[in-house]
Amino acid sequence: MATDTLKSSGTGAGGAAGVRRLLLDNGALTALIVLVIAMSALSGDFLTTDNLLNVGVQAAVTAILAFGATFVIVAAGIDLSVGSVAALSATVLAWSATSHGVPVFLAVVLAVATGVAAGLVNGFLIAYGKLPPFIATLAMLSVGRGLALVISAGSPIAFPGSVSHLGDTLGGWLPVPVLVMVLMGLIAAFVLGRTYIGRSMYAIGGNEEAARLSGLRVNKQKLAIYALSGLFAAVAGVVLAARLSSAQPQAANGYELDAIAAVVIGGASLAGGTGKASGTLIGALILAVLRNGLNLLNVSAFWQQVVIGVVIALAVLLDTVRRKAGATPLAAGTGGNKGRQAGTYALAAVVTVALVAATSLLHTGSSSATPKFGLSLSTLNNPFFVQIRAGAQAEARKQGVDLTVTDAQNDASQQANQLQNFTSSGLGAIIVNPVDSDAASNSVKAADKAGIPVIAVDRGVNNATTATLVASDNVTGGELAAKTLAQKLGGQGKIVILQGQAGTSAARERAQGFANGLKAYPGIQVVAQQPADFDRTKGLDVMSNLLQAHPDVQGVIAANDEMALGAIKALGSKAGSSVSVIGFDGTPDGLTAVKNGTLYASVAQQPSQLGKIAVDNALKAVKDQKLPSAIKVPVKVVTKDNVAGFTG
Amino acid sequence: MSNPDELLRIEGIRKSFPGVVALDGVDFDLRRGEVHVLLGENGAGKSTLIKMLSGAYTPDAGRILAGGEEVRIHGAQDSERLGIATIYQEFNLVPDLTVAENIFLGRQPRRFGMIDRKRMEADAEVLLKRVGVNVSPRARVRELGIARLQMVEIAKALSLDARVLIMDEPTAVLTSEEVEKLFVIVRQLRADGVGIVFITHHLEEIAALGDRVTVIRDGKSVGQVPAATPQDELVRLMVGRSIEQQYPRERTETGAALLSVQGLTRDGVFHDVSFEVHAGEVVGIAGLVGAGRTEVVRAVFGADPYDKGAVKVSGTALRRHDVGAALAAGLGLVPEDRKGQGLVLDASVEENLGLVTLRQATRAGIVDLRGQHAAAERIAGQLGVRMAGLGQHVRTLSGGNQQKVVIGKWLLADTRVLILDEPTRGIDVGAKVEIYQLINELTAAGAAVLMISSDLPEVLGMSDRVLVMAQGRIAGELAADEATQDSVMALAVSTPGTPASPTTSLTPTTTDKEAGRGH
Repeated sequence: MATDTLKSSGTGAGGAAGVRRLLLDNGALTALIVLVIAMSALSGDFLTTDNLLNVGVQAAVTAILAFGATFVIVAAGIDLSVGSVAALSATVLAWSATSHGVPVFLAVVLAVATGVAAGLVNGFLIAYGKLPPFIATLAMLSVGRGLALVISAGSPIAFPGSVSHLGDTLGGWLPVPVLVMVLMGLIAAFVLGRTYIGRSMYAIGGNEEAARLSGLRVNKQKLAIYALSGLFAAVAGVVLAARLSSAQPQAANGYELDAIAAVVIGGASLAGGTGKASGTLIGALILAVLRNGLNLLNVSAFWQQVVIGVVIALAVLLDTVRRKAGATPLAAGTGGNKGRQAGTYALAAVVTVALVAATSLLHTGSSSATPKFGLSLSTLNNPFFVQIRAGAQAEARKQGVDLTVTDAQNDASQQANQLQNFTSSGLGAIIVNPVDSDAASNSVKAADKAGIPVIAVDRGVNNATTATLVASDNVTGGELAAKTLAQKLGGQGKIVILQGQAGTSAARERAQGFANGLKAYPGIQVVAQQPADFDRTKGLDVMSNLLQAHPDVQGVIAANDEMALGAIKALGSKAGSSVSVIGFDGTPDGLTAVKNGTLYASVAQQPSQLGKIAVDNALKAVKDQKLPSAIKVPVKVVTKDNVAGFTG
Repeated sequence: MSNPDELLRIEGIRKSFPGVVALDGVDFDLRRGEVHVLLGENGAGKSTLIKMLSGAYTPDAGRILAGGEEVRIHGAQDSERLGIATIYQEFNLVPDLTVAENIFLGRQPRRFGMIDRKRMEADAEVLLKRVGVNVSPRARVRELGIARLQMVEIAKALSLDARVLIMDEPTAVLTSEEVEKLFVIVRQLRADGVGIVFITHHLEEIAALGDRVTVIRDGKSVGQVPAATPQDELVRLMVGRSIEQQYPRERTETGAALLSVQGLTRDGVFHDVSFEVHAGEVVGIAGLVGAGRTEVVRAVFGADPYDKGAVKVSGTALRRHDVGAALAAGLGLVPEDRKGQGLVLDASVEENLGLVTLRQATRAGIVDLRGQHAAAERIAGQLGVRMAGLGQHVRTLSGGNQQKVVIGKWLLADTRVLILDEPTRGIDVGAKVEIYQLINELTAAGAAVLMISSDLPEVLGMSDRVLVMAQGRIAGELAADEATQDSVMALAVSTPGTPASPTTSLTPTTTDKEAGRGH
């Protein structure tokens, strides 16, 4: 208050000074440059045209979502629903075009309209219903995701070919998602900078009451702002699905947080009133560079998440420190500038050192002589896949192979990014455990084009050539599970089925197997089938709920051991006595339960065998040996009788 | 330097922030039992100086002595230990705690680890009695009006056994009656030996309350004079030049009625309010805080709804609760809470100036930014907004310049009836006069001005007619020549319906009419 600055801004800013000023005024840009320099220094594969275009593609979906979120955040709101709305829009497009023969053009319009409608509902609840934005959009997050699952019946729907070109490249090298990102970015910048609604966003976000008393129609503007956010989410959803050639109801899960992070890293304040499209783009690029670089550097999948979190915090901290130091505006040319610069440089130095130290520490060193393979796992949240990794890593060590393992966290598009990174860093072979069999096809095709053999493990890849598929047969396994339980119950009784995560091939195939197997036993009555997402906690909750409705149930088939173990918790002392539970996978926990008698049987795959065999076959493929199209790793039913002799 | 009465001495204090030197050699001293007024324009460095004493800032150079010994004040604890208590313009009270809890916040008396509520409330009661305010220690602070909040702050300072009490513009938000009550308390404290640093923009308060005056200009102390110094001389010291006239109202021919309000009523808030404002006329609205003045003008402007009545501009009725309609009819509002309602603080001067005309400057959804820039440049020049450039954030402007920006955005929209709610609150003398000149220019151009002010000399000096509100009703109307402080106050404390004679003099401090509404 007492510090009224009347000095004019510094003069004589030459070219170099101009650049320095630009960097000082934009902490995020500094952070991005530091990051790029650090990554180039650490990995020779980073600074190539191919890889930089990859980074662009990988940033595209987050960036487009984040542009929409920028509108909302500048207006002092928040939109948590963008990820769900993106998935919903893509699902609507695929469903109307593929399943119902609506002309593709109309289907695209329908998809965009869906996004806008969801945004309008958000806006209406917030502007006229006076709901806090957090709550209104949280509700939409759930509704959008639910509707996407309802429309698609839980399965991915193939994307119409003409729209899938949005995920391709132009002239063989320029990726269309990057173009769309740039276009949407320009639109966002134009809307924010030049249009009535854009200027209103800043006024409303800066001081809603002052805006209202200056004659701005705040409620109408809010409606439009959330509708714009929905529109951008729809575009992001279509681009995402086009990249994967498949609309996935579970796509873009959690992307709203990435989008918000990108906006905030880009210099916007959650309190509203500030933010720029360029900053948001930089924020999205920082996230993409980080993920890409950590993949290339072979940083452990678990540590990657830690590093990403730390960098988000540091990037925003950098900006806050910079702003605090420059709280008195237009300080150029006076003494105070020094402290501010020092602060920025110091923090930039800390970021660099932390990053270099962390990555080189976590970076398992490699020499060029040994063959390099990449393994992209769908998730590491489940012991089954952890065992695949263990088997593969043990074999790789034995054979002298340098194996990079990534975790796609059950997100098909993240997996596409990782496969793209593998391809561009020129690995000898890629082993993929697809999140979704359809969604992985584009990435695998790209690897084929680059002459890199791809081995699929556990789940196949559709519409693309893989050297071989190393898998245990889910359908057969499902049939075996059904048969085992039916025989145990003597062909009579009520059972429930706990299904896997809707939209995954394992869930579908196992369910198919259960159904096939039960056909032979008409006396078995399935009283309920509910998904519990391959998750132990959800298995516990769903089983507890089902027991309320069906206390007399005699058998449970769970599509994996984790859910079976959750169900056993819910059943308590009934498990193993009056209720027989059958699981799937033969994980260590599952086998222990079989030993203890609470789990009647588990259809055991041999996950570490899957990993080992995959690596072996990758080596063969590199040596151009002929491989069979599929290698079946036997499944077998493990009960108390044979559990002692069984090892995964 | 061993004057036993000396509580505090500041020598050659310097403080700079990135890009600006806030204080550059300030000397100041405070004795037991005196009221030492700090006088200076906004931005002169008064707030920075008191923040040094309260520990919010530390000086870059210079010395602070307390009781003859050099001290360092690094935080609120240090200043508390030295017996320095500060009452800022923005109060440091927690709205949802009780009065007693606020007074003893962080120091609640405890028994067996539990707060001893009974003792705390009894102690609070004693303190409240000492400051002469009739409020229950169990009342929630949220429910108190602004004058009482201030009394609670003073009680809190007393509970700390403060030997030095710093008051930053305590009278800015009070009505003249409340100011009198405050003075009684301050004089009482002075008699008890407390040294009081008093910041005010109201020159007449200096003679009434102060002992000595230190004038600060551009971060330097430019003089220490007795409080009896003539106002002209004080102004000259403060602004570095002499100001001819404090209230330079130039009356113009009044024309047709531009704004007419008929029987405006919102149940429980204001009743049957009718008045007219003519072209070329300044109509002042006086009254106590809580009399319903702000509520009436907000309803007229469409910011809030009303239950009965009508608002007409040039004969056309306005839709109820519709800011857009008011705007289209040529109404403008400069709200009471400049920062909270008038400005987008973190936006630039240019953006704030263009806020009202944003829609007009839009073609096919796209804003004519160049036109907006040119308009902002023109009006900022015309108003003499002191700034580094149109891109400067308004948060960093001084109060007077901020207010010019708020008025400027309405001038750009060719406003024909401008409503000013406390237009000069917290603004220094120089900028005040500039705002009065603006009002003159507006009326000379045929616009009408409706001005709420709690600063009685201002209402009397600038209005052509004065409406006085009391308890949500218009208690009376006075022409410029019959309006005096006494006649206005008599109406302000009257109960409307029972006509009060404008000549009745009143004894202040006997009634507490502040209607117990906070914000």
